[in-house]
Amino acid sequence: MKLRGRILDVACLNRFTRVVTTISKLTKVCVLRLTPDNLFFVLSGKVANGGIGMWCELSQANVFDEYQMEGVSSEDNEICLEVTPENLSRALKTVQSAKAVKVKLTKKHCPCLTIAAELPTMSSTSRVVTHDVPVDIVPRRLWHEFKEPSMPDFHVSVYLPPLKTMKNVVDRMKNLSNFLVMEANLIGEMNLKIETDLVSVTTHFKDLGNPPWGDDASQDGGPSHSREPEAMVQARVDIRKLQQFLMGQQVNPSKAMCNIVHERVVHLILLHEDVSLQYFIPAVA
Amino acid sequence: MKSVLPLFRCLTSIERNVERCQISITPPNDQVMIQFFCRHGITKTHNLCFQESEALQAVFASHLSPNVLKAPARLLSDMVMHFPVSQEEITLSMTPLRVSLRNYYEGGDDHMKNMYTEMSLHPDEFDYFQIGVESDITFCLKELRGLLSFAESHCLPVSVHFGAAGKPVCFSVEDMVLEATVVLATLIDSESRGPSQPTETLAPTTPSCADAAAAVLPVGSCEADSRKPQDIAAVMELIASSQGSPIINPPALMLLLPQIDDSNKLSVADEACHSATTTPASSTICSLLFRALSSEDNDGCAARLPVLAFHSDEEEEDYTREQSCYT
Repeated sequence: MKLRGRILDVACLNRFTRVVTTISKLTKVCVLRLTPDNLFFVLSGKVANGGIGMWCELSQANVFDEYQMEGVSSEDNEICLEVTPENLSRALKTVQSAKAVKVKLTKKHCPCLTIAAELPTMSSTSRVVTHDVPVDIVPRRLWHEFKEPSMPDFHVSVYLPPLKTMKNVVDRMKNLSNFLVMEANLIGEMNLKIETDLVSVTTHFKDLGNPPWGDDASQDGGPSHSREPEAMVQARVDIRKLQQFLMGQQVNPSKAMCNIVHERVVHLILLHEDVSLQYFIPAVA
Repeated sequence: MKSVLPLFRCLTSIERNVERCQISITPPNDQVMIQFFCRHGITKTHNLCFQESEALQAVFASHLSPNVLKAPARLLSDMVMHFPVSQEEITLSMTPLRVSLRNYYEGGDDHMKNMYTEMSLHPDEFDYFQIGVESDITFCLKELRGLLSFAESHCLPVSVHFGAAGKPVCFSVEDMVLEATVVLATLIDSESRGPSQPTETLAPTTPSCADAAAAVLPVGSCEADSRKPQDIAAVMELIASSQGSPIINPPALMLLLPQIDDSNKLSVADEACHSATTTPASSTICSLLFRALSSEDNDGCAARLPVLAFHSDEEEEDYTREQSCYT
């Protein structure tokens, strides 16, 4: 297994750092998959994670100016590492001013992702910074757990309101209840509801719009055709998971969508430039 | 210090309202009186109780250190910025070609899971670079951060004096009105042995207050259970008091302490440091004793303590008193 990459463009380095920082806010540990064309940050929806699934995809060409990767074998030409994204984020943040950043897979005291950079100084000499981020190699037999999740058969898909607004609402609701109901319909309306013994609060969002997935998208045939456009589809989720998702976002995405499978799962999709982030929050009873 | 800080916290209001500040000690009380004489005839008086206590002293002749680095505080801050705030200890390495910093972890179960960071600089980046011996010293980063942020806010250069591993490292900043020194113990061996020695700050000095009638100085004897009085030594770094009491050069001061001879002084430092690290009360060491220049020195307990800022008209008396400490 071999990995050598160089980031030369400041904007690319910046964007990559922001993505990694967002990931670090969503989860403590995740899997980094490297293929000849892409990088993926993956969290499999296991019970241990509270059922949360995450899939973040970026193309390596938009990060690295030079990229050499040799996977485990020629048939399985990819590298699968378990990493703590916070370490990676910290390392990248300190080298923002570098002219070139090298990313390598190395073996020091343990397998590491080494971030090395030369930082410019006032004099003609340069400073060298090296960060060794420890990683765990994920064995091939476990790779199936980190495959791209299939698009769920959602009942409704709706564009999200501005994330900042949502975050403000959810932050306040969190003080009142542990669970929140997200519901949406086919005419671009979405509600966030909490209900306790003493109080129930609902925030209504209108005119959000529904993404045109097209007829061949997996809207299940029977029920959705007979579903009335105003009928709300809902899922009750742990409010902290939704809050965590909203807290982590650093940039306003160019597209933000939410797919709801009635009482099963909330599937959030963010698209920003060439980076896509999908987040699955399971519904609770 | 927690009681003193709030009084001086609001700089803007102090600048606007306070005409004069007087800090004094009246001998019968165990109290420091801080008075702010403000506009409109208002006087604010704060009385703070203090306790005399014994402070640890760092015996460290920094001018004899083989390795010296001088750099603007900004440079050192930029170096430590690469390490997480939670990083406890750090290793500074010096070779003729490079100065580098690495984080340091004691051996442990999660040894493998730690992120290792190293950064290195070319000697040319420093204002002054002197290497006498190639060394790797490991010391507590947290203590250093405080000094660096202070130095950076005042745009002061920082000097670093150190030697081989195990010898103390001294960070100092100097200005027209103040001189601050932080002496840190370093691990004896860079390769960690079983129980590592906690690194400590010994006797940090504090700036002298320009208006004060007293000189501020760290005074006290080394708190060591098994040490005999002969091993007690005085701080080598002296603070220029605003009243202009004579500054004694360290070698001259050494002559006043007959039991300590030159060849042993650095090893005494080590022993002092070691004993400091093993005494139970050594975790926070900072003791100030305000001493008005004109006051009578007839406190029984004070008589036991060596005084560094000599009263300009009472030198002989102090010398005699000091001699009696060590007999």
